[in-house]
Amino acid sequence: MTEALIVRGLDKTFTRPAVMDLDLTVHAGELYALLGPNGAGKTTTLRMVAGLTRPDKGAISIFGIDALADPAAAKAITAWAPDEAMVYDRLTPLEYLEFVAGLWNVEPKAAKARAEDLLGKLGLAAEARTRCEGFSRGMKQKVALAGALIHDPRLLILDEPLTGLDAAAARLVKDMLQERVDAGGTVILTTHILEVAERMADRIGIIAGGRLLAEGTLDALRGQAGEGRGSSSLEDVFLQLTANGAGGDAA
Amino acid sequence: MTLAAPGSIPWLLAHEMRLYWRNFRAGRAGKGARGLVSLVVVAAMLLAGGVLAALGLRDVQVPINPISISLAALASAVTFTLMLSQTLSASSEALYERGDLDLLFSSPIGPAKVLFVRSLGVAGGVITIFLILVTPLLLPSVIWGHPGWIGVFGVLGALALASTAVGLLLAMALFALIGPRRTRTVAQVMAALVGAAFFLVSQTRTILGAQQSNSLFAEITRQAQEGRLHPAPVMSLPLRAMLGEPLPLLALLAGSAALFALAALTLGRRFSDAAAATQGKTAARPARGETRRAFAAGPFLATLRKELLLIGRDAALLSQVLLRVLYLIPTALLLSRNAAQGTGAALAGGAGVVAFLAGQVAGSLAWITLSAEEAPDLLAVSPARIRTLRRAKIAAALVPVALFLVLPIAVLTWFAPAAGAWTALGATLAAWSSGLINIWHQRPGKRSEFKRRGGASWMATVAEMLVSALLAGATGIAVAGFWPWALIPLGLAGAALLSLRRSDAQIARNLRTR
Repeated sequence: MTEALIVRGLDKTFTRPAVMDLDLTVHAGELYALLGPNGAGKTTTLRMVAGLTRPDKGAISIFGIDALADPAAAKAITAWAPDEAMVYDRLTPLEYLEFVAGLWNVEPKAAKARAEDLLGKLGLAAEARTRCEGFSRGMKQKVALAGALIHDPRLLILDEPLTGLDAAAARLVKDMLQERVDAGGTVILTTHILEVAERMADRIGIIAGGRLLAEGTLDALRGQAGEGRGSSSLEDVFLQLTANGAGGDAA
Repeated sequence: MTLAAPGSIPWLLAHEMRLYWRNFRAGRAGKGARGLVSLVVVAAMLLAGGVLAALGLRDVQVPINPISISLAALASAVTFTLMLSQTLSASSEALYERGDLDLLFSSPIGPAKVLFVRSLGVAGGVITIFLILVTPLLLPSVIWGHPGWIGVFGVLGALALASTAVGLLLAMALFALIGPRRTRTVAQVMAALVGAAFFLVSQTRTILGAQQSNSLFAEITRQAQEGRLHPAPVMSLPLRAMLGEPLPLLALLAGSAALFALAALTLGRRFSDAAAATQGKTAARPARGETRRAFAAGPFLATLRKELLLIGRDAALLSQVLLRVLYLIPTALLLSRNAAQGTGAALAGGAGVVAFLAGQVAGSLAWITLSAEEAPDLLAVSPARIRTLRRAKIAAALVPVALFLVLPIAVLTWFAPAAGAWTALGATLAAWSSGLINIWHQRPGKRSEFKRRGGASWMATVAEMLVSALLAGATGIAVAGFWPWALIPLGLAGAALLSLRRSDAQIARNLRTR
């Protein structure tokens, strides 16, 4: 099986240790949910994978590319969408997508067609030429998601992608992510909505105190938590594992 | 806070002052000892000027005659327009900056009270700036021999109240006339025009084609000497108030306070309605012209296009640039006329001014394009090379400078080709240098926080002025025909740039530590 992401021995300390000796493997074509309580180190981990934060120690490989040695090559096949949408208030969604496509060097004609397609799918066709400054948080999230998808990344990293979305928009985004995974794409996401992870994720990683406490399918996690197979929800498993393993010293 | 009843005007005012103070402290944070030293140096220089003025003016009694009355009235009018420029801008921004307005308007506190306190905040903000400048200059004279001159502070207070009232009225009138979408842009542009109004009026003879610029001061003096100056009695009020005469001072203060109260209290309901109407209105503005054009290819062109779009849509930035362009118009006209008539010295000075302004405008724009990046993480996660992005941002800052310089330089080159070439070279060097300084000394922040250049790096601002001034000097000397001597300021500018230079690693380290 091809590995989309291999993280080994990742360490990061700010004023306190944020991530400690973290190992993580995400297979190509799977949806991986990284869960953890607030301050567990999820975002720091994903920022290091996206090339935004340099780890103190460790190795990151994205589809076989050493992301620390050749960040540009790794970034070319990766997309990152944080919980705070990275959009420009005074640009329209179409102008924003033009800019993002330019950053990833997408061929202009193909980029424009893809931008219009994505905005249509995300229900933003009518607002494609309206500046983002008055958009709701959910609309901005959708614009940012379109930006993350404009260059058709092999690895899509999403930090709390459903924050601020209404029920219909959340459903739309979940469907798009599922379609992407079904088509062979790889998605890593963090979420506090455990039902989403339970229903969508192929595998789940639970992180607390900067360390990976458990990893696997929901059934495997139930086993690690000492719960009976199929008898408990992810919420029970999550609470059980984080209660047992949280060190509480992560940033 | 607890001394006043919750919900009362003093209570709200205390809340505003606390926020203002904390914002000021947050703005000062990070400037550290260097920032404090620069403040102390500036204050000491102003105070030294004030002491010298006090010693020189100790035995001077200001006469109340047509010249002094006219000059005091003129100074008051200039101060009023400068204050109005700020209060108009602040009043329109108050409508758009949500901040705690939603919270205040959703509370049982009446909108009139909220506007009254906000308006006091605007007036307080504008008078604080003038007091900081005027106090060290004036206080020594007040202490040594002219206690009556304390009336100047009263006149400043009256002008601040009146300019706030007019600023509010203008902002609300604009809102009613052109709606929420355009008010902010038009108000910012109007503020720039009002701020430059007296400069432009004083230069009308230059603009309209007189032989040379003639200051209003010289004109007033000449008219007085010829016995043609007869100011109306009411025009003596500012001078008498400044000299400490109680009745004129009280009259000015009472009149301004009444105007302020009238505007602030009567506009309360309209203000809250207008503020509510601004919610989301700007979003409904469709961008024109991009429907059918192709996407830009590659990171350079895409970033260039994005930065130019953002510059074009930034009302506050445009007004700052417009202000500098307005200052350039009389200089450019004078330059062209002198070039046509072969007036060497004036030509050299004008060429220097063009180069200096090119550096300053490019600096302002480069500072915005480089430092005010709203989505730095987006750039960081992209595979685009940082140097490519920087080049695109600098190019975006230089395009508008080139556009507004092309005409005056073309005219100049037509009449005096060598002078035109030197001016073009000097302006290009000054603009490029400002761009480089802004690359080396970036101070990232959100675009919305970049209304004032105060957010920029202290080092970048001072260095930019210094290098622009040196290159302006070199340009002027070269245009005057002494080009070998121009190598001296040019070399000094080069040395300054070398000392300011930072490697990519140093820039990255500096950005990481912020």
